[in-house]
Amino acid sequence: MTNIFSFIGRPFLQLINGSGRMILLFFDAIKWLFVPPFRFRLFLRQVEFIGVNSLSVIILTGTFTGMVFAFQSYIGFNKFGAEYMVGTVVGLGMARELGPVLSAIMVAARAGSAITAEIGTMRVSEQIDALNSLAVEPVQYLIVPRILAGTVVMPLLNVIAVFCGIAGGYFVGVDILGINKTLYLENMYRYVDLSDLYNGITKAVVFGLLLTMVGCYKGFYTSGGAQGVGKATTESVVLSCVLILVFDYILTAFMF
Amino acid sequence: MPITDKDILIKMEDIYKSFGEQEVHKGINLLVPKGGISVILGPSGTGKSVLLKQMMGLILPDKGDVIVENESLVGMSRKKLIQIRKKFGMLFQNAALFDSMNVFDNIAFPLREHTKYKEKQIKDIVMEKLRLVGLKDVENKMPSELSGGMRKRVGLARAIALEPKIILYDEPTTGLDPIMKDVVNNLIHSTQEQLDITSVVISHDIESTLKIADFVSMIYDGKAVINGTIDDFKTTDDPYVKQFISGSMEGPIKVF
Repeated sequence: MTNIFSFIGRPFLQLINGSGRMILLFFDAIKWLFVPPFRFRLFLRQVEFIGVNSLSVIILTGTFTGMVFAFQSYIGFNKFGAEYMVGTVVGLGMARELGPVLSAIMVAARAGSAITAEIGTMRVSEQIDALNSLAVEPVQYLIVPRILAGTVVMPLLNVIAVFCGIAGGYFVGVDILGINKTLYLENMYRYVDLSDLYNGITKAVVFGLLLTMVGCYKGFYTSGGAQGVGKATTESVVLSCVLILVFDYILTAFMF
Repeated sequence: MPITDKDILIKMEDIYKSFGEQEVHKGINLLVPKGGISVILGPSGTGKSVLLKQMMGLILPDKGDVIVENESLVGMSRKKLIQIRKKFGMLFQNAALFDSMNVFDNIAFPLREHTKYKEKQIKDIVMEKLRLVGLKDVENKMPSELSGGMRKRVGLARAIALEPKIILYDEPTTGLDPIMKDVVNNLIHSTQEQLDITSVVISHDIESTLKIADFVSMIYDGKAVINGTIDDFKTTDDPYVKQFISGSMEGPIKVF
């Protein structure tokens, strides 16, 4: 009987414990964000790592998502002769949903995992203790630049993904499937608002914060040597992706 | 002259510390006199590293107090704690060099963080510290290109860059061959002589201890069984100490 309770109870306790520690770390990072010295150079380096180096992945993801989306929605609309609506659907889908979610998941896989692996290795090889011993606050030195960079860069990446998706959709819709160019664009302009794009950008800001925060948290509390770093990295990517999808629902419901 | 009559630099009062279920320290009382080399001995797994980290507030005790130059670390604000840590330099067991930086940047790191020196002055200081630990022509190497002994020396050069009053050594001779051990012991000794500071060394190496120590403490079962001068240590009747010196399986220290 007690086994059943501990079987259910332990993961539940771990969940509460983990979320609590992550939220505390988040508030700690907020606090150290406003304490000098401001490490602008470290911030820029993270902007390069999380943002600039993700560009190729984001462009590819965005383009192909838009292209596939155009094909798939064409099949549906073709059945009642509304092919010219493909542009609208691609535009809305990319701006509101696919752009932010897919680019965030790609960045979580690329940069979030690397953040966890790097900070986790620093933890297990005592480099974080070394920072402390040299009178440098690790939260300020390691975590603040990363979550700040993630939060700033993610919406920019999102806009690029949306643009590439719409361009990809146009290419498939107009050049391959032969939808009338004017009708395609006309309908897209009419039914896709800037507010749809802002909606997606808001999501991207939250996702950028989320994935860098999870990456830092998992790395910061790594234990157990090389194996621990591997485990933390996997957990970081899984947790980031799950949280991105959960928060996507919450934000969508909230901004509906 | 008993140790209690000396000028005391670090005072650990009734320290209790547990990790999960495991009680590591069960009321440690320990004095570190000003000047000279204090060695803290103890079998493996008795929480010596934790004790060392508590001295500079990297870990705080569950109960008890750590007093450094008449200032209590427990309950101190984190900003104040960072200031206190500037009095310390620490050499970690595996040196804990920042593996993203080369040797020069590792040693220059605390200088760039905490001083307003120009790059020219920083270069002079780094070269001076490298000379002090007996290294040359390594400043452009990455930590991964160095041997274990060289890493320790670079770690020491980084630890003394800000000219601390106290240097803490975490098992400096563990895992080194007999010749390298002697080199490191001489390094600790010559650093002590040249900089006129206080050194605290944790070790389980009797031979090295007899060579370098001015004061010796021994930790067993979460308590300090001796805390005195090297002569007290050599002449004590304490069965724990005698067993540890002789390296025998027979005696009050339980072997698992």
